[in-house]
Amino acid sequence: MPDTASKVTEGAASIVTADSHAIVTADHSPVGGLAHDARGGISNPILGMLLFISSEVMFFAGLFAAYFSTRANFVDANGVKEWPPSEFAHILNPFSLILVATIVLILSSVTLQMAIWAIRKDDRRGFIRNMAVTFILGILFLVMQAIDYSWLFADGLTMGSGPFGTTYFTLTGFHGAHVFGGVIMLGVVLYRGLTGQFSSRHHDAVEAASLYWHFVDVVWIILFSILYFL
Amino acid sequence: MSTSPRKRPAPDVFVAGLVLLILVALVVAIFLTGFGNTLYPPDAVTAQGREVRGLYNIVFAIAVAIFLLVEGLIVWSVLRYRRRPSDTELPVQTHGNNMVEVIWTVIPTVIVLYMFVISWQTLNHVDAVSAQPDIRIHAIAGQFQWQFEYLDQDGKKVATQLAPAYDVDTGLGGMAVPVGRSVQVTLDSPDVIHAFYVPQFLFKRDVVPGMTNKFEFNVDVTEAGQVFRGQCAELCGTGHRKMLFNVIALSQGDYDTWLRALIEKSNATPAPLPSGTVLNVTAEGIKFDSASLEVPADAPFAIAFTNKDPAGVTHDIDIQDSSGTVLQKQETIDGGTSANYTYTPLPAGTYTFFCSIHANMTGTLTVK
Amino acid sequence: MATHALNPATSTYSRGVLYDWLTTTDHKKIGIMYVINSFLFFLIGGILALVVRTELAAPGLQFLSDEHVYNEMFTMHATMMIFLFVIPMLAGLGNYIVPLQIGAPDMAFPRINALSLWMLPLGGILLISSFFTGGTAAAGWTSYPPLSLDGPLKSPGSGQDLWIVALILIGTSSILGGINFLVTIFKMRAPGMTLFRMPIMVWTVLVTSVLVVMATPVITSALVMLFIDRNYGGHFFDPFGGGSAVLYQNIFWFYSHPAVYVMILPAMGVISEVLPVFSRKPLFGYKAFIFATAGIGALGFSVWAHHMFTTGAVFLPFFSLLTFLIAVPTGVKMFNWVFTLFRGQLTFSTPLIFAIGFLTMFLIGGINGAFSASVPVDFALHDTYWVVAHIHYVLFGGSVFGVFAGLYYWFPKMTGRMLDESLGKIHFVLMFVGFNLTFFPMHMLGLEGMPRRIADYAADAGWNNWNMAATIGGFVIATSILPFLWNVFASLRNGKIAGDDPWEGNTLEWATSSPPPPYNFDHLPEIRSERPVFDARHGVEGH
Repeated sequence: MPDTASKVTEGAASIVTADSHAIVTADHSPVGGLAHDARGGISNPILGMLLFISSEVMFFAGLFAAYFSTRANFVDANGVKEWPPSEFAHILNPFSLILVATIVLILSSVTLQMAIWAIRKDDRRGFIRNMAVTFILGILFLVMQAIDYSWLFADGLTMGSGPFGTTYFTLTGFHGAHVFGGVIMLGVVLYRGLTGQFSSRHHDAVEAASLYWHFVDVVWIILFSILYFL
Repeated sequence: MSTSPRKRPAPDVFVAGLVLLILVALVVAIFLTGFGNTLYPPDAVTAQGREVRGLYNIVFAIAVAIFLLVEGLIVWSVLRYRRRPSDTELPVQTHGNNMVEVIWTVIPTVIVLYMFVISWQTLNHVDAVSAQPDIRIHAIAGQFQWQFEYLDQDGKKVATQLAPAYDVDTGLGGMAVPVGRSVQVTLDSPDVIHAFYVPQFLFKRDVVPGMTNKFEFNVDVTEAGQVFRGQCAELCGTGHRKMLFNVIALSQGDYDTWLRALIEKSNATPAPLPSGTVLNVTAEGIKFDSASLEVPADAPFAIAFTNKDPAGVTHDIDIQDSSGTVLQKQETIDGGTSANYTYTPLPAGTYTFFCSIHANMTGTLTVK
Repeated sequence: MATHALNPATSTYSRGVLYDWLTTTDHKKIGIMYVINSFLFFLIGGILALVVRTELAAPGLQFLSDEHVYNEMFTMHATMMIFLFVIPMLAGLGNYIVPLQIGAPDMAFPRINALSLWMLPLGGILLISSFFTGGTAAAGWTSYPPLSLDGPLKSPGSGQDLWIVALILIGTSSILGGINFLVTIFKMRAPGMTLFRMPIMVWTVLVTSVLVVMATPVITSALVMLFIDRNYGGHFFDPFGGGSAVLYQNIFWFYSHPAVYVMILPAMGVISEVLPVFSRKPLFGYKAFIFATAGIGALGFSVWAHHMFTTGAVFLPFFSLLTFLIAVPTGVKMFNWVFTLFRGQLTFSTPLIFAIGFLTMFLIGGINGAFSASVPVDFALHDTYWVVAHIHYVLFGGSVFGVFAGLYYWFPKMTGRMLDESLGKIHFVLMFVGFNLTFFPMHMLGLEGMPRRIADYAADAGWNNWNMAATIGGFVIATSILPFLWNVFASLRNGKIAGDDPWEGNTLEWATSSPPPPYNFDHLPEIRSERPVFDARHGVEGH
């Protein structure tokens, strides 16, 4: 951690002069302290977002723990230990609309990363173009998930359909809610981009939003693999 | 760092001795007055309970020693090192001492590892269940009553004790067990979590719906004829405090007689319905099907009572007057069974009929 | 010391005081509002405790008409004390003190800080509103399903749902606060303030924040699943619908055990600030203390099932061993504190007296906890009043005494006025006596077999005297709050002016004015140790 002032004072306290003291004060002027962090390295918003994502990881860890515990204990009415339960055995087909939705979500992560690379090079047009595509792909995923839900409802799988339905809709539903939150974040970033608020020097909000979006994407890949293939 | 002792008006030894003396005197006083006994659990009445008690005694002794040592150090420091007007210089600025810090990390580690090992050993005895226990009892804890099913060696039910509490007047009720024999209890719940707790066993075990817990105990031979209190220890709703039961320790002979009587009672045909007023009442979903009943005054009457709740959920129909005095009591019946309750004549007036297990199950009984 | 405020906002135009406080993003005002909000819930939770104690004073149901109301009372008492008093009170002290102690102008995210604050009264109001919408939650603060599920004799009605929503809100507030603390501590330290020069208070808030950020979302997931089970026909915890009742306990305690450390670590931090200042010595074993704090935090994630020894569904030796091991770092801290007093020059101001109260009482709370770590002994003591005694020796004897030590210690900094010493000592004596009178007899009650959470007990069970003593003690505790309230009120009006550094403090908050100006400092002393203000006062020869 760059900590020049302390290195000066650490070893030999006696060489502290009025000058070095002045540096300490200037470094730490109130306005300076508020405008950007007092220390180098990772920026405040990005560190904050990383910590927020770790807490989200723990939230999903709780849900996944419940899923695996429920699945391990599951015995159907006839005493058969089978997951998915026989009546829902073929209801979750990975090679259907949900696969398209998965590809859409993965694509959105790619376009978002392209937007990041663009803004890092001060390419605002490229940034906005890629951001807009990401935003639309995010909405597209939500729409596809809604359609898929309606098909499942029509096939008789609901929240109340035993532990299978409960865990399925809780896990995918909370993921969907996170996608929804991410889409709002992307929308705000896109709007701010359109008003020209970002540059290669100043785009912490974009980086933070992209971290969140990649996280949501990774959760979906895990979710999709577990629910549809495991 | 410097640890050279500084001159003090009161010698350290004197204050330390005083603190030690006071603390020791306090401990001696506590135990001489008999007050110390309140810091121990009740005397155990089972073989397993005595092991727990032995373990408690060791843990308690270590706890008292640590308490006296640390509390003594605190009191001594407080008495000894108050700031005096002459203290204008700073005291020695001690930042730490690796040696003592290692010591007070290692010694507690050794102590807790020792406590862990003896706890584990005791646990293996207390928690052990045998494949062929002498007696098998299936305890069902439902909101808010216990029932005890007596099983034979194949696990088949031979009789059910529906009255969990021992009644001093009639000598009935309670979970009877023979002394000196291994008794295995399996626990099930039809609704929420309860816990089987007998303080004098120094033991409890949760009754968790959806899983069957199991434990075993041997009541000491010297305890024959004793009655022990038991109680639900896990919050289970609005009747939690009423989930009491008793364990009755009997000699093998008395136990055999007791169980025979219970089997006979279980197999007895239900009392036939008397002539006269007969009402039909059904309980389902922790509710009576009728909120008001009407019977003629000064005449006996009967209720053909059906309990349609699942097994483990018991009900009865008792009658109380407007002041809350219980006038007539009936025995509870298990879910999925029925019984004929007969009542003695009542003078005209308004009464309440209620289930003694579920406070919300009440209705009006009009007598005219 | 510097008192000039560099305050661009208020120098250009002025707003009403109320508007200013309601919209502030200043960590000091937010910290004070945290403290006030938490204290209000302490009073409400205390009144609920008195209701519980009054009912239990004698056998029979005489004060409350209905057992259900009794269940509501203790459920709300615990919920408020834990989630709306202890945790936010310590977060509030941290909010006020941490930026000052690390020489920062504010928290890293001042507006999120304000959001964290205002979610608390919102959650509190939701919780209280359940009193008026058909009854509160009544399944205990742990709310174990199936009892907390919907259904007759379980928890029908909106009270339990409001409880869930309120807890999710409060938990989210905690998570945001924890993130804010972590970023502030990692990124906003003044030049020279290396990690191993941070005051212990900051270290404890750091470890606490890690626990909050990693553990609180887990209980959020449990609450969410409980809500789904109750309202949308879910089957997570209903054993008769394919769920598991023990699953909830595992997830719940995965949060709620670390939460115990969330409730005690910052109080330990407070004590570790107070003891050195009033004994004029540095904390004995500064680094060992930090490692012990981190060790407690790490072990805190692997002992949750010691709350579930009697369920018959957990691997007992593992959790027993780790639970025992937690005694080691806790013991290290205890010895560090005692050796800080040792050969010091103690000034018995109210903060030090409360800190010593903490030491003596928390010691008992630690020792009686070791009984429950021993699985067979826990079979005897679990869910009895012994456990109630234990939790109160830790959370009242520990955290509450720590909170009052902190309030007496930092009140001059927050307000610029000294609290009255005599009233403070009256407060301490009443609280100390009342506390022990209330909670020590609970050990005996637990040993004699009185289960917790019962509204009534048999008159011939032999529990009458201890219960009466505990009830009297409860009212003594309540009385002890009165001199404190009067002390605050009177001192705010005409207390002695404190000055910048009334206690001869060690840490940076004493290097600015009382109360500090917006953005805290326009001049910082050099930071060459964990005691920069001590160094400035005494020079290097102090080391």
